[in-house]
Amino acid sequence: MKVIEINNVHKIYNETEIPVRAVDGVTLCFDEAEFAAIVGPSGSGKTTLLNLIGGLDSPTSGEILIDGINLSGLKSSELIDFRMMNIGFVFQAYNLIPVLTAKENVEFIMNLQKWSRKERDERTFELLKAVGLYERADSRPAKMSGGQQQRIAVARALASRPRFVLADEPTANLDSKSAATLLEIMEKLNHEEKITFIFSTHDARVVKMAHRVITLEDGKVVSDDVRE
Amino acid sequence: MVNYVCLSDQSKTMKNYRIAWRNLWRNKRRTLITVGSVFFALFFALILRSLQLGSYDHMFKNVIESYTGYIQVQNEEFKDNSVVDNAFEFTPEIQKTLMANKNISDIIPRFESFALASSGALTKGVLVLGIDPEKEALLSNIKERLVCYKLTASVIDTLKRKNFSQEFISGLELFRGEGYSSEIILQSDLGISDRDATSVMPVIKKTAYFANGYISAGKQEALVGDKLAKFLKVDIGDTLILLGQGFHGTTAAGKFVIAGIVRMPTSDIDNKIVYLPVDVCREFYNASDMMTSVVLSVKDNSDKAIKSTIRTLGQKIPLPLRLIGWREMNELLISQMDADDKSGRILIGVLYLIITFGIFGTVLMMTIERKREFGVLVAIGMQKSKLAAVISVEMFYIGLLGIISGIAAALPVIIYGQYHPMRLSGEYVKIYESYGMEPIMPFMPVDNYFIWQSGIVSLIVVVSIFYPLRKIYKMKVVNSLRA
Repeated sequence: MKVIEINNVHKIYNETEIPVRAVDGVTLCFDEAEFAAIVGPSGSGKTTLLNLIGGLDSPTSGEILIDGINLSGLKSSELIDFRMMNIGFVFQAYNLIPVLTAKENVEFIMNLQKWSRKERDERTFELLKAVGLYERADSRPAKMSGGQQQRIAVARALASRPRFVLADEPTANLDSKSAATLLEIMEKLNHEEKITFIFSTHDARVVKMAHRVITLEDGKVVSDDVRE
Repeated sequence: MVNYVCLSDQSKTMKNYRIAWRNLWRNKRRTLITVGSVFFALFFALILRSLQLGSYDHMFKNVIESYTGYIQVQNEEFKDNSVVDNAFEFTPEIQKTLMANKNISDIIPRFESFALASSGALTKGVLVLGIDPEKEALLSNIKERLVCYKLTASVIDTLKRKNFSQEFISGLELFRGEGYSSEIILQSDLGISDRDATSVMPVIKKTAYFANGYISAGKQEALVGDKLAKFLKVDIGDTLILLGQGFHGTTAAGKFVIAGIVRMPTSDIDNKIVYLPVDVCREFYNASDMMTSVVLSVKDNSDKAIKSTIRTLGQKIPLPLRLIGWREMNELLISQMDADDKSGRILIGVLYLIITFGIFGTVLMMTIERKREFGVLVAIGMQKSKLAAVISVEMFYIGLLGIISGIAAALPVIIYGQYHPMRLSGEYVKIYESYGMEPIMPFMPVDNYFIWQSGIVSLIVVVSIFYPLRKIYKMKVVNSLRA
C-alpha cells in the first residue's frame, strides 16, 4: 500500500546567480512499513528531498502525495497539523525541547493532539521501554548522552503513531555502539508498529540495515535497490 | 489511514504557562537581566515621580497655606485691576454668610494698595498690605520672616576683631547691611560649613542679633521689607511717611512708626513691601468698611471640597463679589510647575527609552538564539500561534516579575520618604528657607502615578513581544532548522 508518492519533483534554489537544482525530477513511491535509506554524497539533495516529503519545504514543481493528499494544496497551518498527525521527525542534532523531561518530550505531540492523560502515559512508557530509557523518564536532555537523546527523539517521533518517520542523518553524531543500539530500536519499531522509516544517511551501518537504498546524485535518483 | 485533521483550536492541555516558566530559567542570566531592566525602569520611575509630585505638593501647600489661602473673596474687578476703588464693603452679613459654611473655619481680611513711602529726602513707591496682625501671623507665618540677625557696620567690625579666618572676614563685607530671618540662610550666605557652624554660629548669632518688633491692631505702626528699609535708611522706631490715593480719589497720607523689619523671599517684594494693621490701613485709604480681599481658611482643602465651597458660597454672596480658588490665584506657579512637570516626564521618558532598548536587546538575543528551536517545534507540529502564545507568556512572566519586584522595592522607599522626607542641603536650603518653606523633598504617597508607571512599563514589555512574534509568524521552518 503506497504511503508516499513523489511525482517528478523539482526543487530549484534561485538564491545564487546560478540556480541550484537540489532535487531534479525525482519520482519515487514508499509503501507502508518500509525501512528505506536515501544515500548520496554531500549536496546530492538528500536532506532537501526529506524536507519536501516532510512538508517543511515546497517543491518548485511536481507533486508529493501522502495517502493521496497533495501537500502543496495545504495551507501553512493545515500543513503543520498534517505533520503533527502523520509525520515523525528525527533530526541529526536530536533537537529535544531542553526544558522538558524525557517523558514530557515524548508526550509533547500527544499533548498537541489532545490525547487523554491515561493514553499518553501508556504510550509514553511503552515507547520509553522500547528505547530502553524507562528509568530516565524524568531526566532532562542536558543530563543525557547523545545516544540517549536520539533514542528519546525516536520515541517522540513515534509517539503519535505517525504514518512515517523521516530521519535526517540520525546516527551522524553518535558513537558506533549508540548508533547500533538506535538502529536496532528503529528496526524493531518499524517491524512492530508497521511505520515507514526513511533515512537520509552517510552511515554504512544504516545502509546495511535498510531494506531499500535510494541513491541520489545531483538531485537525481541514480539507483533504487530493494533488498529481500 | 492518513490522520489528516486540521485542529482549529490547538490543544490547551499542553500547559503554555508551564513551558514558558521553565523556558525562563533555561538562561537565568538573560532572564535576570531582562527582569532587572524592567525592575530598575519601574523602580526609578516610581521614585522620581513620587519625589517630583511630592515636591509640587509641598510647594503648593506652602504657597497656598502661607499666602493666598485656598479661597479668597474679591471684587470681580480686583484681580485684573488692583486699585483701591475695586475694594468692596465687607459687611457683617457677608461675614455671617461666609462663616455659615461648614468648610470655613476663619476669615482673614486684607487691604492691598500702593503708596509713596518717604523718609527724610528719600522716597519710593511701595506696596501697602493691610493685615490682621494676629490672624495673618497664623496664615502666612509672617513672624517667621521678621529679621532676627543683621550684619550692620558695627556687627561686622566686631566680628572682624574675633579670631576668624581672613577669608571669612573679607567675605563679611559682601553682606554689609543684610538682614536675616533664618539662621540657615545666614550660615549659607557666610559660607560657613556645618562642621564649623557649631563653633562659629553662636558667636555670629550673638553679635548680629537684631531686636525686632511686630505691628499691633489699631496702632500707627508698620513692618517694612529689609531692602526697602535699607533704601530708605530707616530702622526700628523711625517714622515712615506714606502718601497715596485713597478711596474714590481722596488723598491718603499718614505717619507710621516702624515696628519691625521683615525679609521677604524675593528681592522685588522685599524692596517695596509695607505691612500695616488692616484697620489702620483702611483708615489711611479712607475706606473704613472696605476690604480688597478676604482669605477664607478652610477645614477640608481637597479639590472637591474647595470646588463645592466656591460653588455654594458663590451663589450666596452678592455681586460684584466673587470667590476665587487657589488654582486661579496661582496660575503662574501652576504653569511653572507644569513646565517642570513636563521636563520630569521627559526625563522619565528617556529612562524608559533606554530601558526599552535594553529589554528589546535581550528579546532580540533570545529570538536569535532560539531560532532553531522554534523551527523544530513548528516542524514537529506545534502551530505558530501556540508557539507565539508560549513566548508571550514568557515575556508576560518577565514583565510581571519586573513590575512586582519594582513596586515591592519602591513601595517601602516611598512610604519611608513620606514620613522621613529628604532634607536638602547647600543652596537649596537657602532657596527653600527664603520662601519660608521647610527645606525638604517629601515623597508623594501611593497614588494614580503607580498605575500609570506600571502601565507604561507593561506597554514596553508588550511592544517588545512583537519582535519574536513577528519572527515566529514569518519563520520559514527549513531556514530555522539550518540555524
